[in-house]
Amino acid sequence: MAALSPLLEGLAIAVAPLNIGLVLSGVIVGTVVGMLPGIGPINAIAILIPVTFATGIPPESALILLVGIYYGSQYGNSISTILLNVPGTASAVVTALDGYALTRAGRGGPALAMSAIASFVGGMCSIIALVFFAPLMSNWAIRFGPAEYFALMVFAFSALSSFSGGSLVRGLAATGLGLWLATVGLDPQSAIPRYTFGRIELLDGMDFVVVTIGLFAVSEVLYLLEESEGGQSVSASFGRVMITFRELADSSWTLIRASSLGFLVGVLPGAGGTIASFLAYSTEERLAGSTGKFGSGDLRGVASPEAANNASVSGAMIPLLTLGVPGSGTTAVLLGALLAFGITPGPLLIEEQPDIFWGLAASMFVGNAFLLLLNLPLVGVFVRVLRLPRWFLIPGVAAIAFVAVYAVNRSAFDLVLMTLFGVVGYLMRKLEFPLAPVVLGLVLGPLMERNLRRAMALSGGEWAVLFDSPVAITLWCLALASLAAPVVLNRWSKHNSPDESVVPTGSSDGNAA
Amino acid sequence: MRSARIAGVFLVVIGAAVGFEASTFEVSFMADPIGPKALPNVVAAMLLMAGFILMLRPKTNVVWPNLRVRAKLVGAVMALLFYPLALHVLGFVISTMLVVTGLSHLYGAPLRRGLAAAAILSVVLWLFFVQMLALPLPIGSVWLR
Repeated sequence: MAALSPLLEGLAIAVAPLNIGLVLSGVIVGTVVGMLPGIGPINAIAILIPVTFATGIPPESALILLVGIYYGSQYGNSISTILLNVPGTASAVVTALDGYALTRAGRGGPALAMSAIASFVGGMCSIIALVFFAPLMSNWAIRFGPAEYFALMVFAFSALSSFSGGSLVRGLAATGLGLWLATVGLDPQSAIPRYTFGRIELLDGMDFVVVTIGLFAVSEVLYLLEESEGGQSVSASFGRVMITFRELADSSWTLIRASSLGFLVGVLPGAGGTIASFLAYSTEERLAGSTGKFGSGDLRGVASPEAANNASVSGAMIPLLTLGVPGSGTTAVLLGALLAFGITPGPLLIEEQPDIFWGLAASMFVGNAFLLLLNLPLVGVFVRVLRLPRWFLIPGVAAIAFVAVYAVNRSAFDLVLMTLFGVVGYLMRKLEFPLAPVVLGLVLGPLMERNLRRAMALSGGEWAVLFDSPVAITLWCLALASLAAPVVLNRWSKHNSPDESVVPTGSSDGNAA
Repeated sequence: MRSARIAGVFLVVIGAAVGFEASTFEVSFMADPIGPKALPNVVAAMLLMAGFILMLRPKTNVVWPNLRVRAKLVGAVMALLFYPLALHVLGFVISTMLVVTGLSHLYGAPLRRGLAAAAILSVVLWLFFVQMLALPLPIGSVWLR
């Protein structure tokens, strides 16, 4: 029981009135932004960082809110997927195959119920795994020196570059752009200005909130102009949001397998919810064989991706919290939030700031319970939001984005930068460049540079120090392997199946996963 | 094809500029052996490499929008650029109302309904952020005179 006592202390934090209110707001906002195509969790989190900062709430409360949006969105993304065949985020793309087929067969209700239950199981299982593995990871990572950190960050960058878009070249270009933005401002060690274009506003560097809101939210405002016709018509009847005990029992092993897989994939950098849901779906499809109706309305085809993409969230929290190295766009924004609140995540976080870690973990249990309640009986309320016309929704998001960007420095210059990055983001999306690596580069770049320079200072300029320890060598090999993976996988899939209907290309929204 | 090639040229130009600028970072006292040039040089190499590959193998399925949408895009960017100009002069409520009305019109809203929705939204945002969260937003210099 001794192992549980910090979790109970965390629970005391999580059920404080302010934090209960925040976790509830977080999961509601998360469900809504996950559900609305085009508005992902990354927008919502980036927008809320300056707002929460300005209200002066304690860091653990802010984190409870922001992470609530992250996993809440993984519940919400299946609603529009199942009812409209429009994935709310890229990690729900596979859910559309069977989810929408069920809706057309008049079984939208059971599909929604299965998705909520699967999300809940995936969420709960993976938080248990998080609570168990995060301290172990911390104990192991405590021996990491600057060289190991540098190699780990290179691995994070190479994995995200390979897996976040279709093409490795575009991923590398996006990472390069992000790292370049990271160097803007006064160099902390030599105090010379870099790439400031003579603007004093840039001496402090590019604010990641401004860049992220520009790249994601503003570019979305521009991107959606092409399909600006009205709101969506949601098929009015989806029946009762219920499944039978039999249907749940049939899916129980699917849920457990998909949750484990989702968690493991979530831990890996670059992968995230999109790849987790894709792998879980294809695994279950293969295991079911001819007994399943995968692709034409099998409840397990909804259960597996939804359990997996929810489980991947807690998985992704492990490298973020215990190493301080995020592996996706959304977790990069969360790292930026933590740093803004004066918290440096890493192996010492759990020991030195137990309130942050255990409070967050406990709040995730609470939040998942709320989400199950919200998504089973109250799903009809959320569906109403889908009926709001786009002409109101998108400009409304833009207005909230203005407030957030202005709140960062109270400067009009930031609003101009935001628009500039909105245009850049629009062009990048159009040309199929992934956006998540830009954000990861911007947030992680300064840390990577610091670790590299520290490692070199310790070794007196000897580059061999970067390849000195077994851990570092392993991480370098993983980085190389992740760069080679897309090429190898492409060959392999072309060889094996001529059918390329489902490929986990994290399109513009994949960045949010 | 052509779009990807142009993107490649852009990346090469940016990469070259980043690398050139990095060569001007002269530090008299080096606090560490590699100095402030190292990361920018890596960035320049990455951008140049990606740019050259895109120029040589410009694979893309990009479909650019038609003229009507392009006009809308220009309108939206102008509205977004108008906002920082207007904000300190007209204040948050009026500037937001104008820009949101413009954007909603581009999204196909009837002008009057768009204006009404934008007015309500701006006032609600003002009340929420300024009154409830005490987040300062500009009142507008015109109204203070």
